[in-house]
Amino acid sequence: MDMPLLCAGFAALSVTLYVLLDGFDLGVGALLLLQPHERSRDHMVDSITPTWDGNETWLIMTGVTLLAAFPIAYGILMPALYIPIIMMLLALGLRGVSFEFRAQMKRYRRRWDVIFAIGSIAAACMQGLILGALLEGISVEGSSFSGTVFDCFRPFSVLCALCVLEGYVVLGSCWLEYKTSALLHGFSVQALRIALPLFLLTFGFAVGTAFSVQPGIVAVWKAHPLLLGTVSCTVLIAALILFGSIGKRPDVRPLAAGMVMIAAGIAGLAIIVFPMVVPFRLSIWSASSSRLSQIFVLTGAIVVTPVVLGYSFFAYWVFRGKTPEKGWDG
Amino acid sequence: MNPATLARVQFAFTVSFHIIFPTMSIGLAMFLAVIEGLWLETRDALYLEIYRFWLSIFAMGFGVGVVTGIVLSFEFGLGFAKFAQLAGPAIGPLIALEVLTSFFLEAGFLGIMLFGMHRVGPKLHFFATCMVALGTLLSASWILSANSWMQTPDGVAVRNGRLIVVNWWHVLNNPSWLVRLPHMLSAAYLTASFLVAGVGAWYLLCGKHLAFAKKSVALGTAFASVLIAGQVFIGDILYSTMLKHQPSKMQAAEGFWEKESASPAPYYWVILPDQKEQRNRFALGIPYLGSIWLTHSLHGRVEGLKNTPGDAQPIMGMVFYGFRIMYGIAILMFAVATSSLWLRWKRRLFTTKWFLRFLVAMTPSGIIATLGGWYVAETGRQPWVIFGLLRTIDAVSPVPAKTLLATLIAFVCIYAFFMAAFLFFVAHIIRRGPVLALPQAEASGSLKNAFRPHVLDSANANAAVGR
Repeated sequence: MDMPLLCAGFAALSVTLYVLLDGFDLGVGALLLLQPHERSRDHMVDSITPTWDGNETWLIMTGVTLLAAFPIAYGILMPALYIPIIMMLLALGLRGVSFEFRAQMKRYRRRWDVIFAIGSIAAACMQGLILGALLEGISVEGSSFSGTVFDCFRPFSVLCALCVLEGYVVLGSCWLEYKTSALLHGFSVQALRIALPLFLLTFGFAVGTAFSVQPGIVAVWKAHPLLLGTVSCTVLIAALILFGSIGKRPDVRPLAAGMVMIAAGIAGLAIIVFPMVVPFRLSIWSASSSRLSQIFVLTGAIVVTPVVLGYSFFAYWVFRGKTPEKGWDG
Repeated sequence: MNPATLARVQFAFTVSFHIIFPTMSIGLAMFLAVIEGLWLETRDALYLEIYRFWLSIFAMGFGVGVVTGIVLSFEFGLGFAKFAQLAGPAIGPLIALEVLTSFFLEAGFLGIMLFGMHRVGPKLHFFATCMVALGTLLSASWILSANSWMQTPDGVAVRNGRLIVVNWWHVLNNPSWLVRLPHMLSAAYLTASFLVAGVGAWYLLCGKHLAFAKKSVALGTAFASVLIAGQVFIGDILYSTMLKHQPSKMQAAEGFWEKESASPAPYYWVILPDQKEQRNRFALGIPYLGSIWLTHSLHGRVEGLKNTPGDAQPIMGMVFYGFRIMYGIAILMFAVATSSLWLRWKRRLFTTKWFLRFLVAMTPSGIIATLGGWYVAETGRQPWVIFGLLRTIDAVSPVPAKTLLATLIAFVCIYAFFMAAFLFFVAHIIRRGPVLALPQAEASGSLKNAFRPHVLDSANANAAVGR
């Protein structure tokens, strides 16, 4: 069996789950900045509190899968993306502790909320920056990174950062519409009406720019026009459904449409990047770890992932329905 | 400063900061599981009070531990790209399995543990607590396995500059893992015991929350007494294991330079080592004790660091003092344990002022001892990052010194902020004291309950049990 391919598939699964799940968490965090009422902010945070930890774990899973299965790529990418990764980690850190501290220290709640929001926004932007830097290309020599740490700050990456932030805000608003009560209904509807067109606009602009900064993408389009065309149509149709369902029942529909839209976008990225692990530079086979290592990871993944998905679902199930307005402690 | 030093300082800082929190969470998770079990068994509301008090501190510490832990999973590559590329095939899968088997387990059940009591009922809630405790235990097992592999690498071969795993069982169960794991686990459980006992002693001295305080002191000192007795034995076995596999580390830990010490050997407590001259400028110790403790005879000689070639020696000062801090605190813990047994027998455990003050002073002792122990393990492994296979200096990433310095400063500032907020919060919780246990839903706690279409909310639940 083609172990590197399977490992790449698992890494792709975890990064997709990360974006879909932590995407709305980060989006809700970013929206805190726009919500003036403390009670509403409490409600927003409560909606993600019980499950954020598990969502973020998919990010670690992605990083560690890279380390285990593609150590050569991991050793190139980490130094290349040094600054955005460290900034993302610090931002996620600030955001993570805000969950606890805002709940426990009522007096300073307002300040923690600002930190929470800024942490969420910075983390989202850094993830976009990383995406942009990957697509535009990383300098590699042999099995080492050969560029400078500032290479990743280029106009295209900034555009991607904006795009990812807006995409997360769309997911976050969808989540709020699904999980929160009437208290936040108007807010989430309004946020969606503004964020969705903005996201689509930036997304289109980013796709257009991508062709000019990365000739590799043009080549992929020429090789798989039908596949990428289908993916683009899926994004657009999902976006239309999402736009049409804003503020209407069933309130889960915007979230579902939003998830499909973002997932299709990720699928498009996967088609463009495949079979590279350092895009357009290093393939999954040449960056591979020893075969036995990949077998070990995959065996673990195959046995444990269904269980993980099972109790992650159970955790969501326990906290299903509308988030109580007075919080989980009652 | 050169990039290598900065990368090392950064890793040392972030990992030292991080380990404080898992040490507490591993210990407190188990403590909480025991307490909730006792509550379910006895239905004594006092246990619930203790549970809720430590749960909020646990949650906070767990949160800081998670976010500082995410950093580490990326930092292998950020600062030490060559290490990641070489060691990835061996330690990568261990950490991947850690994430799969324990991070998700903790994350999945933590939400229920923190916010789910009203939703799932006490029994399922207890199950969630146990799963979180199990998660912390598994997490420690995988990480200790990965770290032990760096200390005593086994089961691999190097071909064309890449590492190939030849035997998984030997990578996982490398020579030091099964000794270091129980050592770390009981360190974590000791940490929690002293936290609990220290807070209880503080309340007794203030004359507040007496029932809570007495229970805390009684439980904390009881756990500590059992654990420290075990820890002495585990520590002794670990010492001889490391002496066999990493003699340079233990040579540095004892503070002797010459190939053989004088006979009888003293046990040094203070030294001023001069690495360049390969001698101590100053040394102060207790005569005979070195021979007795280290060779189990009156006149035995102890090996010195000169047995290891100069370019493979760790820096003696760091290993020595790391070891002295850990060992010194262990002796103090032993003193606490024996005096608590004596006072318990004399029925003066809750009234002896000096003992309670001692307990308060010992509150953070577990954390400090654990840090000391990790400094022995990690600085004693130098100059290797993978012992005997890869030198730390050859593992460093191509990142400029200025960038490393800037991110180091960012880490120090933000982590200091975390620590300040954490301490502020813990102080606040301790000042506020335990809150009376809210009446809980006396639901059956079966799965049926959790899956019922209309979940309980607390108001209904309270009404249902008529409180």
